[in-house]
Amino acid sequence: MIKVENLTKKFGNNEVLSNISTEIKKGEVVSIIGPSGSGKSTFLRCLNLLEEPTDGKIYINDKDLTDPKTNIMQVREQIGMVFQHFHLFPHLSVLDNLTYAPMKVKKQSKPTAQEKAYDLLEKVGLSDKADAYPNSLSGGQKQRVAIARALAMEPELMLFDEPTSALDPEMVKEVLDVMKDLAHSGMTMAVVTHEMGFAKEVADRVLFLDHGVLVEDGDPVSFFDAPKTERAATFLEKIL
Amino acid sequence: MNLDFSQIVPYIPFMLEGIWVTLKFVFFAILFGFFIGTILALFKIGSIRPLRWFADAYTSIFRGTPLILQLMLIYFAVPQLSGYDITPFLSAILAFGLNSSAYVSEIIRAGIQAVDKGQTEAALALGVPYRQMMTDIILPQAMKNILPALMNEFITLTKESALVSTIGYLDLMRRAQVVGADLYRNFEPLLFVGVLYWLMVMGLTLIGRFVERRLRVSD
Repeated sequence: MIKVENLTKKFGNNEVLSNISTEIKKGEVVSIIGPSGSGKSTFLRCLNLLEEPTDGKIYINDKDLTDPKTNIMQVREQIGMVFQHFHLFPHLSVLDNLTYAPMKVKKQSKPTAQEKAYDLLEKVGLSDKADAYPNSLSGGQKQRVAIARALAMEPELMLFDEPTSALDPEMVKEVLDVMKDLAHSGMTMAVVTHEMGFAKEVADRVLFLDHGVLVEDGDPVSFFDAPKTERAATFLEKIL
Repeated sequence: MNLDFSQIVPYIPFMLEGIWVTLKFVFFAILFGFFIGTILALFKIGSIRPLRWFADAYTSIFRGTPLILQLMLIYFAVPQLSGYDITPFLSAILAFGLNSSAYVSEIIRAGIQAVDKGQTEAALALGVPYRQMMTDIILPQAMKNILPALMNEFITLTKESALVSTIGYLDLMRRAQVVGADLYRNFEPLLFVGVLYWLMVMGLTLIGRFVERRLRVSD
């Protein structure tokens, strides 16, 4: 579904991603972990071109994203993204946050979009908040709305950029539970996270990045039990 | 001390009429300035370099020279150059509108840039095109940052409008001078129109507060 070939990203002279190649298959849940500054968020943001790669190719369903002829807006419709700081639209109600893009971008009718929105709100356990404004919600609620907003576009792939890092500890679980449900429903997911429990339990694969280099790429069991590289072993020692 | 307000009583209707005359061109100047200012602001934050340069140069010129000079250039110099006999009314709208748009463009630019960058990213990630993102997501949020400063600019414009008395436009200020010359008494008519200006500005302030409150529903 996604293929990344020799992806390199530089900010000025600073190389944040070096020559990364990997693949994410349909239905796969991939956790991207690594120390801060390792480039994992930048890697994720390259996948929907919020950051423009300096070099290399990214294919989504065999479409080359880096080709200037590709309509990137159309590709983004198929990729949902969830941010660390939610980025809900504060001037719109929860319901309008969910229906805005389907109506404006996919040209869905209001009743269709709203029906779908209510379904999704029920799924994330926030049916009673449809008319609330984002600023009246807790962090965990905001993030669940943000997930629902991304799902409203019916994406084929979901990107999560540290979705629980800005949350109070007691709210992490409610967000992770929603993500687990999503993973079990067969959604293709790429998750940048510090939640090793989630990576261990839910992910099909783990990518370990350090200083912009893809150091390890393998299944979570062997990664957590017996990391192949010194760098991964040191990292795991520090956080577990 | 010899103050005698009874003498200006016959002139009160004449001076009150000045409110309407002043408001008429202030209204059009604000609209014109807001329209041009919005376009200039979009130039400034856009990615087309020549437009950005143009908007920056425009702002620099109109903020960098006295308003009264701009007004006189338009009223006295345009007929000399083009032979078109421009009315004081039109000159006033042009001068105040063009001048105000320089300030308004800065206010709007700053207001847009103060909106969290994450909003742009969230909209882009959902596949929302630039124009729609601007009108539906960014500008409504920017309005909250913009409105207080914009109201200030409108108030300034309303007061500075008294400058048009220098080109013979019979606005509130000019009427006070006319009455003063008629009576050989200046204090009473000047004080009287001073109160009228203050009332106009209070009206604007109240409108601004009302709109601000309306925008705050989502907080």
